[in-house]
Amino acid sequence: MALLTVSNLSVGYHTRKGFLKSVQGISFTLDHGKSLGLVGESGCGKTTIGMALMGLLPDNAAVTGGEILFEDQDLLRMSKKEIRQVRWKKIAMIFQAAMNALNPVHRVGAQIAEAILAHDTDISEEAAMKQVKSLFDLVGIPLDRMRDYPHHYSGGMKQRAIIAMALACHPSLIIADEPTTALDVIVQDQILSAIKNFQNKLNISVIFISHDIAVVADVCDNIGIMFAGQLVEYGRIEDVFDTPMHPYTKSLLASYLTLDKDVVQLNAYLGETLDLINSTPGCHFCERCTVAEAACSLVPPEWVEISPTHKALCTQCK
Amino acid sequence: MVERFLEGWSVYKENLIGKIGLILLVIFALMALCSFFPPMIDPMYHPMTGVDPLISHSTSPSWRHWLGTDFIGRDIFCQLLAGARIAFMVGISAAFMSILLGTAIGMIAGYSGKIVDTLLMRLADMIMVMPTLLVVLILSSLFGQLNIWTIVLLIALFRWPGVSRVIRAQTLSLKERPFIEAAKVAGASHFRIIFRHIMPNVLPLSLLYMTFRVTSAIIIEAALAFLGFGDPSTVSWGMMLQWVWKTGHMFQAPYWLLPPGICISLLTLSFYMLGRAMEEVLDPRLRKEVAQE
Amino acid sequence: MKEPNKVILKLEHISKVFRTRASLFKGDQKEVVALNDVSFNIFKGEIFGLVGESGSGKTTIGRLIVKLEEPDDGKLLLDGNDITKFKKKALKNFRRKVQMIFQDPYQSLNPYLSVYDSVSEPLVVHNVGNSETRKDMVRESLNSVGLTPPDDFFYRYPHQMSGGQRQRIAIARAMVLKPQFVVADEPTSMLDASIAIHIFNILADLQKKLNVTFLFITHSLAAARYLCDRIAVIYKGELVEIGPAENIIQNPSHPYTRALIDAHPRFRY
Repeated sequence: MALLTVSNLSVGYHTRKGFLKSVQGISFTLDHGKSLGLVGESGCGKTTIGMALMGLLPDNAAVTGGEILFEDQDLLRMSKKEIRQVRWKKIAMIFQAAMNALNPVHRVGAQIAEAILAHDTDISEEAAMKQVKSLFDLVGIPLDRMRDYPHHYSGGMKQRAIIAMALACHPSLIIADEPTTALDVIVQDQILSAIKNFQNKLNISVIFISHDIAVVADVCDNIGIMFAGQLVEYGRIEDVFDTPMHPYTKSLLASYLTLDKDVVQLNAYLGETLDLINSTPGCHFCERCTVAEAACSLVPPEWVEISPTHKALCTQCK
Repeated sequence: MVERFLEGWSVYKENLIGKIGLILLVIFALMALCSFFPPMIDPMYHPMTGVDPLISHSTSPSWRHWLGTDFIGRDIFCQLLAGARIAFMVGISAAFMSILLGTAIGMIAGYSGKIVDTLLMRLADMIMVMPTLLVVLILSSLFGQLNIWTIVLLIALFRWPGVSRVIRAQTLSLKERPFIEAAKVAGASHFRIIFRHIMPNVLPLSLLYMTFRVTSAIIIEAALAFLGFGDPSTVSWGMMLQWVWKTGHMFQAPYWLLPPGICISLLTLSFYMLGRAMEEVLDPRLRKEVAQE
Repeated sequence: MKEPNKVILKLEHISKVFRTRASLFKGDQKEVVALNDVSFNIFKGEIFGLVGESGSGKTTIGRLIVKLEEPDDGKLLLDGNDITKFKKKALKNFRRKVQMIFQDPYQSLNPYLSVYDSVSEPLVVHNVGNSETRKDMVRESLNSVGLTPPDDFFYRYPHQMSGGQRQRIAIARAMVLKPQFVVADEPTSMLDASIAIHIFNILADLQKKLNVTFLFITHSLAAARYLCDRIAVIYKGELVEIGPAENIIQNPSHPYTRALIDAHPRFRY
């Protein structure tokens, strides 16, 4: 039984100019202890999915279809009270630039202990502090920094403290939304190691949201490529990277910078952001696609199964 | 820029307070415009000199005089219209001048920093603590009756500190922004940076504060007129109140007492509502619409 | 065309210290040594990469070069002239020759100025051309960064455009006077990976067409390797390694450089 099954999820936002279809018909599954990477550029809808899973969509958002089955319960049909039970205890989130989420006037160790105590009323303060210590170990923060204030921490350490806070209540799923953006390469590497570490030790599932495919490659078992609100390719990471099928996946893989391969002139095609209010019925990628045909922009593309663990949403890749 | 204005307008439209304020303002503006007509119809309707040949004392409203007449037979309704004109003139000019002064000083203080900033802000502090009304009263008792434009100037000179502080704060935060640094790197002079780059960014805030200044200017002028220190040759609402009081008609002629008082309150209220609604337009954080990803 | 023997910019023993003001709650005045005795040369026509983490001092070097800050010690020589001594006319002249592209495209354009106004600003400031010729120069600049047709963009405002477009406008603004030296301070760190590549290609193109020298400041060794001829690695205010890009990547000599290379995510596939 999968931990999380998202079926045909569609979410949009009511804006002044119309209804913006941010996420359209997304489906994926996540097993216990596995990790999934959602990769796409800004505006593709990946953050919206994370927010939908946490029940943190803003007031002007509307779920227009689909279901989110978490441990066999549909999160979309839950009341606000029930969602609050699930949130943070079972599903935790690490937000983008989360280091600003630390309260500057409280000591870091105390803040994490507070998070533990808030969700688990049986535990004593001492036991909570002990848990904080073990969390600090897990994420790699020296124990003598527990009593420091957030402004004494570097950016990377703050991010690790946030991860510790997310782990505090032993969730089964963690959603990490761009956790390493704005961090340097060395710190990024440390954060990714910390994530891999706790994933293995605690058998926690992770959904990793990022625009940087290289970062996701390091941490995830499965990957979903998103474009303009749709999932365009999905599968095990080895399959997708070895044999990318969707033209967008191919362009993404061709446009990231390595240190190990030779320097080659990369060609990034720059298309402007799609109008998600009045989107066409056909494939959203047509304008930027190099292999598009006339039919592509008129008829919605269908899923093509390349292998049991790899599929792509494109009529051209049969 | 037109698009920006339209976008702002669409946010403004949804604010109930803003709509009410705007409607009231339009009514008063019409009143002010119409104040020119009655004397043209019949000289007896002139607010200052118009005397009804048939009436020479205070009378209650009638068809001839919609709000009645004052103690020497002048039409109250026309006085009210003229008062609207004066209120707008005084309010807007005084506010405009104080905003001009306050914005310029605020920007210069914020941008220059150090000594210039300290000096200007201490000056602002000193002026801010002086009670405007009192000082103007003292001045007029020393120099006799003041002309309306002198009053406007004095109000402007005493009311710029408030807005300058806000503009200075805004300038301080803008100063560090990359687009200002980009202007510096491009070689722009300090003058150009202040007036081309910083000013457009603080102007919305200035305009906002102008609406609040209008309210205080109108009230100060009304208070001065009521206390007898206004310009005797202009008919303002405060002046009307003074006449009611001085001629002992306070409790005998509600048709004379109430209109100017109500107008002062409503006009200042409408400007205030305008300002509040504008605040929502200017500060996206206050808006009810939540931004999406 | 690179002129390996002609040095356009020389940093000699540059040091810079930032002092925080003492306050009631933070105790004594603290000193942060941003740069400590940094020296290096940049050759005319090259794209020089400066790689380091946040707080390493790389941005400070960029700001010193464009005179947004002044060094506490040392000399900065542009074409042999000490720029720290520039005043008035010499300074104005300097500003025509040295420009900067900032990191945050969402903050480096004045929201109240149209694209035309922003890009023509350097022309107006230096009194170059008249209204007709300025329009042509702005057109040329916008074309060179791929914003075509340029006239379509003239009267648009920053908030109507994407991050990638805004950064290209910032580049067009920096290039409109055809400067000799441009500091690009992490121009893509706030943009998506695919747009970043596009920006790099634009910079490389501009370098070839206009023979301008670039100082490319970044925290990504891979980006520096893609774009630059030579790379310098900076750590905690000191230069730890400098040399041709490929050499640094293949044979790093300093342990910090090696740490940077090891930390870079690699594709196992």
